[in-house]
Amino acid sequence: MYNEIIFYSASFLILLFGVLTLVSWNIFYSLISAIIVFFTTSIFFWLLGSEYNAVIQLAIYGFAIPIILGLGIMFTNLKKDRPVKFGFSNSKYGLILVCGIFILAMIYIVLISLLSVPEIFSTQIIFDEFINPHSNFMVFSKGIFSNYVWAFELISLILTITVAGLTIIKRVGRRAK
Amino acid sequence: MTEITLYHYLFVGLFVFVLGFAGSIVCKNIIKVLICIEFMLTGVNINFATFAKYCGGSSADGFVMILFYTAIGAIELAVALYIFYFMHCKKQSDNIEKYGEL
Repeated sequence: MYNEIIFYSASFLILLFGVLTLVSWNIFYSLISAIIVFFTTSIFFWLLGSEYNAVIQLAIYGFAIPIILGLGIMFTNLKKDRPVKFGFSNSKYGLILVCGIFILAMIYIVLISLLSVPEIFSTQIIFDEFINPHSNFMVFSKGIFSNYVWAFELISLILTITVAGLTIIKRVGRRAK
Repeated sequence: MTEITLYHYLFVGLFVFVLGFAGSIVCKNIIKVLICIEFMLTGVNINFATFAKYCGGSSADGFVMILFYTAIGAIELAVALYIFYFMHCKKQSDNIEKYGEL
């Protein structure tokens, strides 16, 4: 009974704020609506029995990505009469953007590293009683570190290349100026 | 109140995906386009979780795929925003029609 109420409430919120994201004139209101949609999606993952994905959805789509998008909105919402300079101030903004990417990477790596110690979670009685087999950390660990280990390594490599590459591009651009 | 089935979740996932697809085509603001692309990935993730729950049996492959898609979505957004930032410094606009030439 409670699952149905939660499902229909979450569906209504997704429908409402998803449409509001598109039709909002102000980009900041669109971002707020998108955050609510991302938060509500984590409720769906929880309903589907995957608490771990719900936490990742909350951490990455609920916090990290909106922060980066908000920074992007703030940095690019310049007044028309103010000329844009490639001086220190914009470099500072780029540096903050790179720091946001680092925070994103750290959140992902910390959450993934939790999977590398599945014994801690699986041996606790509380987790064994309340977590269903789909969301068990042992199942995730087996999936990532045995069945899809190459995909996992590839994702880690891409993430590292992205962070390092953006930093290098920023430094090369500064030297060129 | 009817029981929640596979199709209920699929409908929500489809709606989020279509919303993101339509928004990425219609919207002119590049930040809004990026948000819509994330909507598309979110719709795909809902479908992954739904099929893992209802059709996956004891395997959690769909849930593991969500982890990968989340990471790919985050990387894609970070790179796109970085490119957008530099393009915005040159074009002085967030209208996507002015970003034809990189």
